[in-house]
Amino acid sequence: MQVTVNGQTHDIDADPQMPLLWALREVLNLTGTKYGCGIAQCGACTVHVDGMAVRSCQLRLGDLNGEVTTIEGLGQPQALHAVQAAWIDHQVAQCGYCQSGQVMSAAALLMLNASPTDQDIDRAMSGNLCRCATYPRIRAAVHDAARRLAGS
Amino acid sequence: MSRAGRIARRGFLIGSAAVLGGVAFGAWRYGRPLPDPFMGDLPQGQSALNPYVLIDGEGVTLIAPRADKGQGSRWMQAALIAEELDVDPATARIEAGPVSAAYYNTSVLGESLPFRPTDRGWLAEAARGAVDVPSRLLGFQITGGSSSAPDSFEKLRLAGAVARETLKQAAALREGLDRKDLSTADGAVILPDGRAIPYTQLATEAAQIDPIDQVVLRDKSQWRWLGRKMRRGDIVAKSTGTQVYGADLRLPDMLYASVRAVPQGGRITSLDSADAEQMRGVRRVLQIGEAVAVIAETSWHAMQALQAVDLQWAAPDTAGNQDQIWDSLTQALDQGDVDSRLRNDGDVEAALADGQPVTAEYRVPFLAHAPLEPMNATVRVDADRCEIWTGTQVPDFVVSHVADLTGLPQDAITLHNQMMGGSFGRRLELDFIMQAVRIAAEMPGQPIQMIWSRAEDFTHDQPRPAQIARGRGLADKTGIRALDLAVASPSVTASWFGRVWMAPPGPDNTITAGAWDQPFAIPDYRVTGHRAAETVPVSSWRSVGASANGFFHGSFMDELFDAAGIDPLQGLIDACDDRVSRLVLEELRELSGWTGRDLRPGRGRGVAFCLSFGVPCAEVVEVTETPQGIRLDRAFAVADIGTVLDPVNAEAQLSGGMLFGLGHAMNCELTYRDHMPQQTNYHAYQAMRLYQAPQVQVRLLENGPVRGLGEPGVPPAAPALANAIHAATGMRVRELPMTRQLRFA
Amino acid sequence: MRWAALLLALAAPAGAEVMPSVVAPPEPGSVSITDGLAAWARVYEVVSHPRCANCHTGSDHRPMWSGPEYDNAGPHGMNIIAGESRMGIETLPCATCHVTASTLDSAPHAAPNAMIDWRLAPVEMEWFGLTSAQVCAQMSDPERNGDRDWIELARHLQEDAAHGGFVAWGFQPGGDRQPAPHGLQSHIDDVLKWGAAGQPCPE
Repeated sequence: MQVTVNGQTHDIDADPQMPLLWALREVLNLTGTKYGCGIAQCGACTVHVDGMAVRSCQLRLGDLNGEVTTIEGLGQPQALHAVQAAWIDHQVAQCGYCQSGQVMSAAALLMLNASPTDQDIDRAMSGNLCRCATYPRIRAAVHDAARRLAGS
Repeated sequence: MSRAGRIARRGFLIGSAAVLGGVAFGAWRYGRPLPDPFMGDLPQGQSALNPYVLIDGEGVTLIAPRADKGQGSRWMQAALIAEELDVDPATARIEAGPVSAAYYNTSVLGESLPFRPTDRGWLAEAARGAVDVPSRLLGFQITGGSSSAPDSFEKLRLAGAVARETLKQAAALREGLDRKDLSTADGAVILPDGRAIPYTQLATEAAQIDPIDQVVLRDKSQWRWLGRKMRRGDIVAKSTGTQVYGADLRLPDMLYASVRAVPQGGRITSLDSADAEQMRGVRRVLQIGEAVAVIAETSWHAMQALQAVDLQWAAPDTAGNQDQIWDSLTQALDQGDVDSRLRNDGDVEAALADGQPVTAEYRVPFLAHAPLEPMNATVRVDADRCEIWTGTQVPDFVVSHVADLTGLPQDAITLHNQMMGGSFGRRLELDFIMQAVRIAAEMPGQPIQMIWSRAEDFTHDQPRPAQIARGRGLADKTGIRALDLAVASPSVTASWFGRVWMAPPGPDNTITAGAWDQPFAIPDYRVTGHRAAETVPVSSWRSVGASANGFFHGSFMDELFDAAGIDPLQGLIDACDDRVSRLVLEELRELSGWTGRDLRPGRGRGVAFCLSFGVPCAEVVEVTETPQGIRLDRAFAVADIGTVLDPVNAEAQLSGGMLFGLGHAMNCELTYRDHMPQQTNYHAYQAMRLYQAPQVQVRLLENGPVRGLGEPGVPPAAPALANAIHAATGMRVRELPMTRQLRFA
Repeated sequence: MRWAALLLALAAPAGAEVMPSVVAPPEPGSVSITDGLAAWARVYEVVSHPRCANCHTGSDHRPMWSGPEYDNAGPHGMNIIAGESRMGIETLPCATCHVTASTLDSAPHAAPNAMIDWRLAPVEMEWFGLTSAQVCAQMSDPERNGDRDWIELARHLQEDAAHGGFVAWGFQPGGDRQPAPHGLQSHIDDVLKWGAAGQPCPE
């Protein structure tokens, strides 16, 4: 079957029941998207499908209908997305394992809502679990990213 | 040949060695060589010591032997070397270093000594020095106990300084100059005429001369990177999905595996894998010990197939239900067998007989570590060697256990320690690595990545033990007069050591760590540890004994202050007999704008203090009672870590530790039924999420000795919150998690 | 906005019926009030069941987590608020986790999915925590039931279930979740009996 990830179309031979997460990580070797829980409780596997945040552990390949963007496609170390730049300036990550999902959720929120309030952020981002509890810096970085996007 | 320098500081020697195309600087100890980690990989005739700095034509490599679980220790270790070496840590390559007994950790065992951490008298210091002996004998390369900072602080800076002076000497010899006329900057020796010779061009010459061992460490006023706002070297990768964790490793033709084990101590009685073997993508179904493993094309196929295996098992003969476990703890308290009584000031029994004591019983639950990256290890076993890629806090134990399991000599085992997606103590265990080796051994030459499902992770953790404590005390207007605390817990130390090595004899001081060792002068003051039977295997969980004892001690002090009508923060300050700790409390009063525990109807704040891992830490939490439940508004933390090496990261550790403590106190428990936790994933273990996180302010002080901050933020959080809830609502929360009694907004 | 109409418009395209059923209305007046009330009581058992009521919540737009799968009833974890859109598009779409799928099945404890986009029912169709009389009044009121008579209510159930919508999911929720009671056909038959009895409501 064909899947389009970060602008590139791949022909993959995979079980349509396999969730997108495993196709990304173990078939396409795009390991920026993380496995944390497998049941949409942690958000570490968040990607965008046609711009909307989706937990890729829940989306079966056979049900995928749209273009996938992963953390690797959002921005690169040499060409950062505004959210990633804010994440770095605020030194958000500790262990960092959840942060791909946090960044993808924040980027999706800012597409829906260009200047979210603290309450909006708390509503949009509480499905992304951070076991290191980097939350104060996540809040600050989302606001910062909103300002960067507004200014660009 | 290695050239050991003659400086001996706290029992280690800095030396140098020639390596291929360059030079290595590192430490020998006591002139007694331990197994040399670089010997195996170096060409014949060349030798090295346990290096912290490697310089060759390619550049400067800084070696950070303490594992990084996310607390930033790898970066901090590199910065310590770089500061003295005059290399911008951002331009250096940073590596974890190979497994070696030479990277022993002198600090981690200090916590288990029967001296209060604030006791800096000669006897206590002498005993801490003596801990060197067992940890040397064991050859621990352990990351734990918030020990990376104190362990590294002097050693790594000395390594950097010796390297710098030796490189200067090499330049001086080459140019016919005197070393004292040279300086260094940005990875180069600067000559008096302004010319700069990069270290990379001096490396081979530096390897030929005796290392310069007469070095003076720079005063912190001269630091360029340490103590200033630094950017951790891993943050760009962690913000862009390019950081490779153990689970992200991809080797050519790698297969995946996953396992389903019976409860720990249980035994497989029957296993039917016929259906699983027929499933698409499945290569092998194996029994490995008391677990079934599936090797498959992807870990999804493996996990799907595991669910199709019919696995029957016989239970271990220990208590496997939560009620029985509570009973065993109560029994340990009631029977009165004393495991330790490290605090016994005055005569508590006489004092309590003289008045109407305040009494309270507290309970804390089992807690899972549940780091977000599930346990995993990638292994390739060949006839004569074994290669392992995994994130571990105990690389030495991994190598020795794998050697025992495979029958290979230790030098045939290569361990590549991986960046860890959290640990909180989980990666002190070997279980998942041993499973991965057993699986890979079934397919020689085939690299296999074994990864657990989250359900396996929750149901096969060795959790923080459930514990019960009873307090009795008396207080009057002058303060707490008598305090008697008895704590019942299974021994984490015996449980863990029993798995990785052998259980040590004698009392387990961690049962009362965070309670017996608190810096308070109370006339009649006693803390007793009662060792309960081990029911399920237990392990170290971020802040270990203090994670429970901080709650017991901090809550009970608050109850006594309340009974006597004393402001709890003032009461703590007045009772405190340690200057460094008192300064922490006074700073917290200022930071939090403390005016008392009552704010206004429906709002309140609580304070708690805990000294753990040598770090005094105090926290204030403010809460509001709302129709949706208790809301955490603001939280404040102050800690003294002696010298703040990386302020941005230290603040993150303190804030994160506090929120970690709050989230588990609010929302988390494991309850056992039939030897397994009933909580199988984060849906039943919500911990802290963004919307429940209060606004946080933290401050770090520098009055005490150098200490690490990975754990000390955790213990005061639960009691500060419980005390705040009491201030706001009048309800005393004596049992965790708090959601058993109330709801949070 | 006519939410119900939008809901049907977004339903999966017609094909094989996911959960087929028959709508066979009795003659109006052919069912006694007593039998109609008994039918209503069974209807209420369905609509007040956690599989249904958890997403028929009020103007705080919060879905609920309640039922035998939960130790304590309470709002959906993770601070989920579906917003005025009732689909979460103001902050976090329901479909981020509750993906639109080609099956009603999902893993235990995972975010359940249906074959249409996940959402809360319109706010005027609040059921959670309400009494039988309150829900009966709501369901009889065209202003609050999507402007439907009793036959149209039954057809709505049939159509949603045929498309693998939330009615189908409630009766076949997968993942070891307890389904709503009685089954789809009985539920439709009960709605029709209640309607033919003149939509009687309990006191």
